[in-house]
Amino acid sequence: MLATLAQAVVNGLLIGGIYALVSIGVTLIFGVVKIVNFAQGEFVMIGMYISFFLASTFGVDPLLSLLISMPSLFAIGVLLQHFLIRRVLALGDMPQIFLTFALSLLLMNIALLLFTANYRTVQTPYSELTFHIGPVYFAVAKLIAFAIAMLLSALLYLFLHGTDLGKAMRAAAQNREVAMLMGINPDRVFCVAVGVALALAGAAGSLLMPFYPAYPLVGQIFVLMAFVAVVLGTLGNITGALIASLMMGVAESLGVQFVGADSGLIVVFVMLLLTLAFRPNGLFGGWAR
Amino acid sequence: MTLIWTTRPWFWIVVLAAVALVLPLVVSNPFAVDIFIRVLLFAFIGVAWNLMGGYAKQLSLGHAAYFGLGAYTSTILLIRFGISPWIGIIAGGVVAMLASLPIGALCFRLRGPYFAIATIATAQVLMLLFLKFRDFAWGAEGTTLPNLGDAPLMMQFDSKAAYYYLALALLALGLAITYRIERSWMGFYLVAVGEDEDAAEAVGVDTTKIKRHIYLISAFLTALGGTFYIQYIYFIDPNTAFSFNISVEAALVSIVGGIGTLWGPVVGTILLEATSALLQSWFGSGHGGVQLTVYSLILVSVILWRPSGLVGVFSDLYRRFTYAGAARSKEVPLDG
Amino acid sequence: MAEALVIRNLSKRFGGLRAVQDLSFAVQDGETVALIGPNGAGKTTSFNLITGYHRPDTGSVFGFGRELVGLRPHEICGHGLARTFQVARPFGKMTVLANVMTGAFLRNKNLDTARSRARTAIEFVGLSAKEHTPARELTTIDQRRLEMARALATEPRLLLLDEVMAGLNHAEIDQAVAVIGKLSKRGLTIVIVEHVMRAIMAVARHIVVLDHGQKIAEGSPKDIVANQEVIRAYLGTGYRHEAPAEDAAC
Repeated sequence: MLATLAQAVVNGLLIGGIYALVSIGVTLIFGVVKIVNFAQGEFVMIGMYISFFLASTFGVDPLLSLLISMPSLFAIGVLLQHFLIRRVLALGDMPQIFLTFALSLLLMNIALLLFTANYRTVQTPYSELTFHIGPVYFAVAKLIAFAIAMLLSALLYLFLHGTDLGKAMRAAAQNREVAMLMGINPDRVFCVAVGVALALAGAAGSLLMPFYPAYPLVGQIFVLMAFVAVVLGTLGNITGALIASLMMGVAESLGVQFVGADSGLIVVFVMLLLTLAFRPNGLFGGWAR
Repeated sequence: MTLIWTTRPWFWIVVLAAVALVLPLVVSNPFAVDIFIRVLLFAFIGVAWNLMGGYAKQLSLGHAAYFGLGAYTSTILLIRFGISPWIGIIAGGVVAMLASLPIGALCFRLRGPYFAIATIATAQVLMLLFLKFRDFAWGAEGTTLPNLGDAPLMMQFDSKAAYYYLALALLALGLAITYRIERSWMGFYLVAVGEDEDAAEAVGVDTTKIKRHIYLISAFLTALGGTFYIQYIYFIDPNTAFSFNISVEAALVSIVGGIGTLWGPVVGTILLEATSALLQSWFGSGHGGVQLTVYSLILVSVILWRPSGLVGVFSDLYRRFTYAGAARSKEVPLDG
Repeated sequence: MAEALVIRNLSKRFGGLRAVQDLSFAVQDGETVALIGPNGAGKTTSFNLITGYHRPDTGSVFGFGRELVGLRPHEICGHGLARTFQVARPFGKMTVLANVMTGAFLRNKNLDTARSRARTAIEFVGLSAKEHTPARELTTIDQRRLEMARALATEPRLLLLDEVMAGLNHAEIDQAVAVIGKLSKRGLTIVIVEHVMRAIMAVARHIVVLDHGQKIAEGSPKDIVANQEVIRAYLGTGYRHEAPAEDAAC
């Protein structure tokens, strides 16, 4: 019983790491650009397909393909901000919501047209590998994904707190007008923010490939988790998103294990609704960097 | 001599109504009538959504919750208790209204996109719940409705035209309600809330109450649409009744057509359904992605080019080509 | 004379910042009181506390004898306290008339009644010619006029004006002072937050001075200008008041 519990927790944490990459991206964009990216999941999907094609055509290991997927998605992010998002920034909530929402539909359906709905998987030497500590089993592929996800999160933290550009981003997130007065170029900062967020989504995609199938609608599940984590962790709070993602991974896993195989989603939704009911500002209150 | 069709806007409405009433008698192709029915239904759903999302700018992406609740209520009453859907449709509306109270209480704490996400979540939760309710709601497989032949008292008709007129009646109801609200103090309060909630509070608008009230109305109407749809297609399951696509379509037609306007949802539905029908005839219904791809391209273009929707384009054209546009003060009620 | 507004020991903290500390003052019925002080002194926060946009940590607010703390802004408006915002917040999509009608509906839901009451308020502030202009197309000063008309349409007994004179030129300030004078003659109690000393001296019978969230002085205009604390904190030692405006006070 305890072993089952521990196993569920471990499984939850490991997948939570991936959720973290996606949700950090969402909360980063929200904190800096003040817009909710409904299409974040689709960029995970794009990352997955990039890794898939690199693997199936050139035999590149998905982990190695991070070197391609992350910069590619960064570039896409910059273009997205510069050409599309910038246009709707002044228009208010509704056009912003529907822009990224429409983008999400667009990308999903283009993927459907190009790649069909078939599941694409990549087999690596370590895809099936596990090891165990006592009664608890660890899937190597998931563990590596988790480790790299945490590494990327740490790098992001260093970037935001240690570099000038990162600090500029945090400044713009806290107070756009004052940041502009201090000479920070908002468009440049926004481009970087969106670029980084999408790069993280792409990373999530690549890290998922060894143990998760790619298909056009795959992003939906991840973006849903991400949104709940972002709300739970307080909008704009990156550490909050990280912690909340891990919590949600665990909650989902426990739900699947102890309530029922199809109950993972309900557990997550219930968590969201409970948070909204009792702590609408998220677990970490107010706003943070 | 002033020409009636350039000076009196109601002339065009009369023409439109006449065309609408005569259409099923003139067009015999059942596929075409089916499209008309869908247009009417989704325009109606759009009008219901628009009351909340267009005027008060509460962007719900979870209206399928009420569509489904209406559908299931009337179906359960029909199949389990033999109650006529004419009663069931109202019951469904009431159930939806009751549901909107706790859902609203929860979701209205959030603004903007997070409100939208919360509404998506509630619709999904309902879908998941109904997927599990095997005992009195048939679970994931759903159920077909018993075919009673031509049974008008049980909301089943032999001729498609009957469904058409029912859908038309629903749309007319929705438009009439919107019209009345637009021209009352409630219309002003709704737009005020949509524009600036804090400023609205400062001039005495009870924003919570207004949101709650419009949600009740919006949910009720959406549920009516749900019952109608199930009666029309004779089948119900959670994925159909609580489909995210319904939530999206409800919002989409208003946004494309003209958010916060009377005719916006109608314009939007005609445009989108016409596009959909065209695409189907070109690409066939096999290519799942094409339709939505084009939909989303249309949406992106509208947002970038005319964020307030296309009705504005039409009314500008109308104004340019007729004299009626000059006397604007009586037309647009928000003018005062 | 009855007290229209009584503030007692009002305090509000935002995180580490003490925006308002133990503030107490009273406004007599029909009086015009000015709330002045350097930026960040807590003036707008006080307005927000009075009108229900923030909940004070401690203290109470009595409006016409009623405890207002805990009430929502629309309820407070219903009790007769109306406010304007420092940066005008019109309902952009609606016309001037529609904006003001929205305010008028508080007292009477009938469309025609609201329309005529709105027109009265619009005429009072001088916007009649722009009745059908969408609010977002108005100039800043017209938007301020609209804001005031909208507030007046709610038939307040007490009006809180937040920096209505900011950025106005000489002539416009005189116009605004005249409007405030007219309102006061009708019996309206007015509390204004202002930086324009000329206007304050012209309309205010009583002045409350805030600095860093605390009241540092209170009294008649004459007293305030001579008060050392106030001079140090706000007016500056070079401040010279031009004498005869006292008669213009209502």
